[in-house]
Amino acid sequence: MLNVSKIVVRLPNGKRLVNDVSFTVGRGEFVSILGSSGAGKSLTLRCIIGLTKPNEGEITLTGPSGQSYRTANVSAAELRRARRHIGLIFQGSNLVKRLTVLENVMLGRLGHINPVRSWLVGFKDSEAREAMVALDQVNMAACAGRLTGSLSGGEMQRVSIARAIHQRPLIYLADEPISSLDPRNADAIMSILQPLSRDTPVIGAFHQPAVVARYCTRAIGIRMGTVVYDGPAQISARQLEHIYGESSGESFLPHRDLDPQLPFFGPDMQPSLREGVTI
Amino acid sequence: MSIEVPASALPSRKLRLTIFYILAIVTALYLLFWFLDLSPSSVFVDFRFVNDLAHQLFPPNLALFLKSALFVSVIETLSMAFLGTVGGGGIALIFAFFAATNTTPHPLVRLAVRTMLAMQRSIPQLIVILVLLIAVGIGPFAGVLALAIGSMGMYGKFFADTIEQADKAMLESVQSVGGTRMQTIRYAVLPQVMPSFVANLFYAFDHNLRAAIPLGIFGGGGIGFELEFARGLLHYKDVMAYTSLIVVMITVMERISDWARRSIITQPQLIAK
Amino acid sequence: MVSPSVMLFRQELPFLEWRKGIACQRWKQAAIAAVLLSLTALTSWRCNVDVQSFISGVDKGIPLLGLFFPPEWSRLVGMLQPLAVTVVLAMAATILGMCLSLPCALAASSNLAPPPLRLAMRSFIALERGLPEIVQLLLLIAIFGLGVVPGLIALSIGSIGMLAKLLADGIEEIEPSMLESVAGTGATRSQVIRYAVIPQILPALFANGLFQFEFNVRTSIILGAIGAGGIGYVMRTSMLSMDYSTACMATLLTLALVFFTERVSDFLRARILSGGLLR
Repeated sequence: MLNVSKIVVRLPNGKRLVNDVSFTVGRGEFVSILGSSGAGKSLTLRCIIGLTKPNEGEITLTGPSGQSYRTANVSAAELRRARRHIGLIFQGSNLVKRLTVLENVMLGRLGHINPVRSWLVGFKDSEAREAMVALDQVNMAACAGRLTGSLSGGEMQRVSIARAIHQRPLIYLADEPISSLDPRNADAIMSILQPLSRDTPVIGAFHQPAVVARYCTRAIGIRMGTVVYDGPAQISARQLEHIYGESSGESFLPHRDLDPQLPFFGPDMQPSLREGVTI
Repeated sequence: MSIEVPASALPSRKLRLTIFYILAIVTALYLLFWFLDLSPSSVFVDFRFVNDLAHQLFPPNLALFLKSALFVSVIETLSMAFLGTVGGGGIALIFAFFAATNTTPHPLVRLAVRTMLAMQRSIPQLIVILVLLIAVGIGPFAGVLALAIGSMGMYGKFFADTIEQADKAMLESVQSVGGTRMQTIRYAVLPQVMPSFVANLFYAFDHNLRAAIPLGIFGGGGIGFELEFARGLLHYKDVMAYTSLIVVMITVMERISDWARRSIITQPQLIAK
Repeated sequence: MVSPSVMLFRQELPFLEWRKGIACQRWKQAAIAAVLLSLTALTSWRCNVDVQSFISGVDKGIPLLGLFFPPEWSRLVGMLQPLAVTVVLAMAATILGMCLSLPCALAASSNLAPPPLRLAMRSFIALERGLPEIVQLLLLIAIFGLGVVPGLIALSIGSIGMLAKLLADGIEEIEPSMLESVAGTGATRSQVIRYAVIPQILPALFANGLFQFEFNVRTSIILGAIGAGGIGYVMRTSMLSMDYSTACMATLLTLALVFFTERVSDFLRARILSGGLLR
């Protein structure tokens, strides 16, 4: 369970980029953070993983047997211990391009491996076998020996997920995992993340309300650093406008004569995509 | 249910490969050292000896800095580098036009010029300076000529390649309105080539400044010459003074030439017309 | 109603502006040309450049060059050993340089090393590069006497300096997201270096190492002439004893060596860049 409490990120001139953001994510949830660019979605996620230091606030991760880890303004060693249990799936090139796919997946458990052993021996064959299982879960087992730089964007994203799966974390963190993918690939990624979320919570930042409505259980809307919506993932058009701001509402509402109270993006859109997608 | 790890991706195999490479490198080094008749102990000298020498070297004879002869030799080295760059580079540009397929008057000319440039590049600077020292005598003139020949060879080839990559469309447009070869070069090729030419002149100057020192040691004048002279007299404090001056000179000139290059590059109209 | 002459003047204004701009430019160009010319004149005077000595030099030089030919073929076999010494010196210095420059480069990168360490390391490298290898050799000869030892040390230190700078620049260009994502698994800094930094710069290390080898061969010749042994020494002694045909033979051997080195180096570099040399 992840507990984010009153996170504040301030610029030197006093302006708040993240303003008292608080929420809790529990088992079985697939949470998405929605908001326009610069609203603070990525910053919040970066605070959770510790890549950005929040000026105020607490972030606590609790495990099933009661162990708890903090990530906000802690020492480097404590941060490392916490990061072992957070699976990162970030947008774009975050895999090491000159390593093979299998090696990239095995990187997931680096937090549990002694650095001396890393330098002297590297990985063990048993770890490789476990990594293959994770790769198989994302249908990339055939590419295990390939150089990561030669993969397409969708394939690389799946390898990222495999790495996170191999890590066996307490929570998955995804920062715009499908923004640079075409709709088919995006759906494939979401249909991998959704079953994952039943055992381990997934929290992700997304730009696409339609996709969110289809797959996620809960949505958190952030506007200019403040949480303005926290509820079901099927958001009505008017609430979307509220999250994204007046002007950008236009791009989501091509037909203004529709009743703004009805959920505009619902599970019944594009039925053809509901049958499984293969890449 | 377990999936098979492809044999080529097994970590244990990678480990074996890595160990093999490391062992190969160590063995290679060992063999090379054996060939040179070296053992690690020859590198670790008697430190008392080094201590004596340290006393001989330090403090550097800073009083030399008060004598004008020191700065004259620095100016001399700078002048050598400047002339070698400007002379060699300028002539290189002219030759480059003969060595490029799209501006040469005849393919045979191109071949001849390319061969000459290749030879100028490959002949070791050592022989060049030694021959020049006999031909024109000891002093900076020999150094200037040696640097010019070296720059000609290096940059002639480079400029020729750049000219060959010039945009054909611009060349054809000048020719289609009836331009002669000279006019084509002046209005179509030169503006494209000049920025790269000027930038490379600065790089050549940096290179020539460093190269002027060994040339001076052999007799080519400048601060290298003074350094070798002092060393021959075993005036090690003077040697240290010259050494520190060389470091300062190279570092400062690198900054200045970097700044000068940048300020000229940002004003392309100055050089492209 | 505007008079025709005023209308004409207004139309001409842009043209006049342009003409003024061109004139201004021409002044600047003339100024630069004047500076260059005067510098050339000054430096020529300083370096005793004059046409007279040039002509007499050519007069002396041509018959001198004639003395070089035919080269002394009988000495060929005897020169192979010094030639090998020159190459081996360059090879050993390059290998040592490649191995030792890696830790220096790691310490000199802004994304890996703490600022004070980076500054110290970068200053060290800049200082080292400001001192030509020849001068280093002279100082080392004072310590070790004549022979290959000072030559090897001077060449190695020079290689470390040049390679470390290039590698450090390359390390700083690695995408931060790559490093962040490996750190996000809970890895220590040394593990990030082992698995993200080193695989990415290894091709650059080898490509630059090959360039360095070419450079080291050329420098080894000059160093040899001052006392480090090898074919450079043969060249100098034969020139000093006016044995020009021997010097010519040595030069031809050197030409062959440099040519061969360049071919091999080009070939290997092409293989590396195409990803052929995978570990």
